[in-house]
Amino acid sequence: MSLTTRDKIIETRAVTKRFGGRKSLFKPATSVSAVNGVSLAIKRGETFSIVGESGCGKSTLARLLVRLLTPSDGAVLYDGNDISALSEQEMRRLRKDLQFVFQDPFSSLNPRMSVGALIEEPMKVHTTLTRSERRQKVADLLNRVGLRPAFANRYPHEFSGGQRQRIGIARALASGPKVIVGDEPVSALDVSVQAQVINLLEDLKSEFDLTLILIAHDLAVIRHMSDRVAVMYLGEIVELAPNDALFDKPLHPYTQALMRAIPIASPHGRSMKAALSGDVPSPLDPPSGCRFHPRCPHATDLCSQQKPAPVPVAGDRTVACHHWEKIADDGQSPVQEPPRSPNAEKRFALFRTRSQQKEPTTATRP
Amino acid sequence: MPTEAPDNAPQNAPVLEVQDLSLRFKGAPANIVDGLSFAVRPGETLCIVGESGCGKSVTALSLMGLLPRGVARVMSGTAIFGGQDLLALPQRALADLRGDRISMIFQEPMTSLNPSYRIGDQIAEIVLRHRPVTRTQARARAQEMLERVKIPAASNRLDDYPHELSGGMRQRVMIAMALANDPVLLIADEPTTALDVTIQAQIIDLIEDLQKESGTALIMITHDLGVVAEIADRVCVMYAGRAVEEGPVAAIFDDPQHPYTIGLMSSVPSVGPRSGRLATIGGMVPAIDNMPDGCRFAPRCPFAGPRCDIAPPLAELGPSHRAACHYAPLESAFAEAAG
Ligand SMILES: Nc1ncnc2c1ncn2[C@@H]1O[C@H](COP(=O)(O)OP(=O)(O)OP(=O)(O)O)[C@@H](O)[C@H]1O
Ligand SMILES: Nc1ncnc2c1ncn2[C@@H]1O[C@H](COP(=O)(O)OP(=O)(O)O)[C@@H](O)[C@H]1O
Ligand code: SF4
Ligand code: SF4
Ligand SMILES: [Mg+2]
Ligand SMILES: [Mg+2]
Repeated sequence: MSLTTRDKIIETRAVTKRFGGRKSLFKPATSVSAVNGVSLAIKRGETFSIVGESGCGKSTLARLLVRLLTPSDGAVLYDGNDISALSEQEMRRLRKDLQFVFQDPFSSLNPRMSVGALIEEPMKVHTTLTRSERRQKVADLLNRVGLRPAFANRYPHEFSGGQRQRIGIARALASGPKVIVGDEPVSALDVSVQAQVINLLEDLKSEFDLTLILIAHDLAVIRHMSDRVAVMYLGEIVELAPNDALFDKPLHPYTQALMRAIPIASPHGRSMKAALSGDVPSPLDPPSGCRFHPRCPHATDLCSQQKPAPVPVAGDRTVACHHWEKIADDGQSPVQEPPRSPNAEKRFALFRTRSQQKEPTTATRP
Repeated sequence: MPTEAPDNAPQNAPVLEVQDLSLRFKGAPANIVDGLSFAVRPGETLCIVGESGCGKSVTALSLMGLLPRGVARVMSGTAIFGGQDLLALPQRALADLRGDRISMIFQEPMTSLNPSYRIGDQIAEIVLRHRPVTRTQARARAQEMLERVKIPAASNRLDDYPHELSGGMRQRVMIAMALANDPVLLIADEPTTALDVTIQAQIIDLIEDLQKESGTALIMITHDLGVVAEIADRVCVMYAGRAVEEGPVAAIFDDPQHPYTIGLMSSVPSVGPRSGRLATIGGMVPAIDNMPDGCRFAPRCPFAGPRCDIAPPLAELGPSHRAACHYAPLESAFAEAAG
């Protein structure tokens, strides 16, 4: 399927990011290609997710997409314009559109600034609002993310993880962005608070017509929130597919292994089996050919010699594997969640009904 | 070395039985762990599940005599292990038990691995500390243990330093150390929380296999319901320092009784097809200086009523299945909303 520029909000063309020393003729390579020749297009208004094991390059790719990092090679386009080579000055205008929510927003923010000042800051930079308009908007945003406007006068350390994440989200919304990148925005949160923040992100996304780029290592969070999912392995995208298609029928052996490793929250589905042996190889010295071949149960000689290119597959998806057609035929759907018992169903429904009666919003009231 | 139940114990008597355990931090107005009871039998896996801060780790530390001294205090309770009360044992006796008959695995392996010693020496050390063996025998045991936890080329790895290993491998080394003396009881505090799902699956598989081989009783502390469903025989759900529900794993998942258990389970996103918005538990855990006197879940509970000002006791709701809620089973108390 070909997308027009109008549909594509962000596009990358063979984008690569290297960290560390330069390659030299005499020394072994000391540089890491954290992202290696990735081409993709993100559709306006979608939730696009990136999954993969720690260190595979998810954060690096996400930072490249919104030019928090400059590519070493290749190009990143925003609204059809190449932004890979824009100066800091020129990027400033775009910052308004492209915002980032971190795993713990306050690890990267000034602890001596009040919550109000933190949320107001992007408005000062990117808008022409007056002081009192800004104050009003800070109060509105705090309210919108489920916090009391009076919190504006308090400081980051006074808040719980879930509240900080709400403040981080309010700050990201302050400039009126078009794209928000969430780098593990709910990973540090407890289950009950995580659900609140997931719902909040979904509400805000539709309310403000956002495009959401989401990084999460929790595949259940990905399944719940995404429209499309990119699976990364050692700096490369090995499979990209619409959410349901990917979970119903993963094509790449790595995706299949990831899914088989998900612990299912039902004692009747005890299925979790270590499908993969070994660790992720060092990105300093990635394997030849297909980077997954040392861990792949389907690897052949070809796999260690030749890198498989991403090929388009019916259903708006791509997969990078020499043998995907043969492998797809073994026909197993790896993610099976057994149905809930009637008793559990009944009480979940009761819990929902009662929660709605008692508390019409998801707002936190400490 | 075969594993034996504690001396003179009848066949299915608990390996460890904790009763009415209460812990408090200095200057705090309420107990951080309050009246907690649980038991684990030979070969059984008990999962203690709850959100961060509910007191899982301090509970484990108190059993091992590892609470920060002068900061945390045991207010009440007994923990009977092999006929002795762990909470009343002198430090020296506890040190003899630790790493021998009771072992612990922590979330962050580097808290118990010494960065400046080779891993083979660290495992051998713990064997020498508790067993009448020679250095050579201890070293052989270290290698055997590394093989048992499936570290590839174990004999070459004995001389590695911890930083030379990946996170998953370090966790394997921790497990090798913990099991080196064939403990009767293994306490694992979130051993896979810091790991990728693929590596987590490997480690869980490994723990299950080793436990089956050795018959060790396992207390697995986790916040992940998926991990619970995967390995538990029995489950203890904690909220704000108290056990709110306890029972066989199938009963907990198929017949959840406590509003917190129900809320927790329904707020976890599913890996199956999306079924609408997530349910949520409003608000958050109260701070220790703001703990309600009655049911600690009351400020967040959609079912809370007048009776909840009094702390509910754990009451039997099925075969060895107990929950601490005045209104359980909920559908009979709230019949009007069920339809
Ligand atoms: N500033 C940097 N300098 C050098 N190497 C880096 C830098 N940032 C990332 N890397 C390396 O690039 C690779 C990808 O890192 P990245 O942070 O993108 O991974 P990730 O997929 O986000 O991992 P995680 O799930 O742990 O957050 C890793 O090997 C990492 O060590
Ligand atoms: N050394 C300490 N001093 C004061 N409070 C502590 C200390 N260690 C833990 N706590 C508090 O005790 C409570 C329970 O902690 P913990 O057992 O670590 O929780 P978890 O269930 O996440 O393992 C938390 O509220 C924590 O902040
Ligand atoms: S190309 Fe070969 S090694 Fe790579 S995933 Fe496919 S089968 Fe496995
Ligand atoms: S005792 Fe009351 S507040 Fe506590 S869980 Fe039951 S209904 Fe809720
Ligand atoms: Mg990252
Ligand atoms: Mg803990």
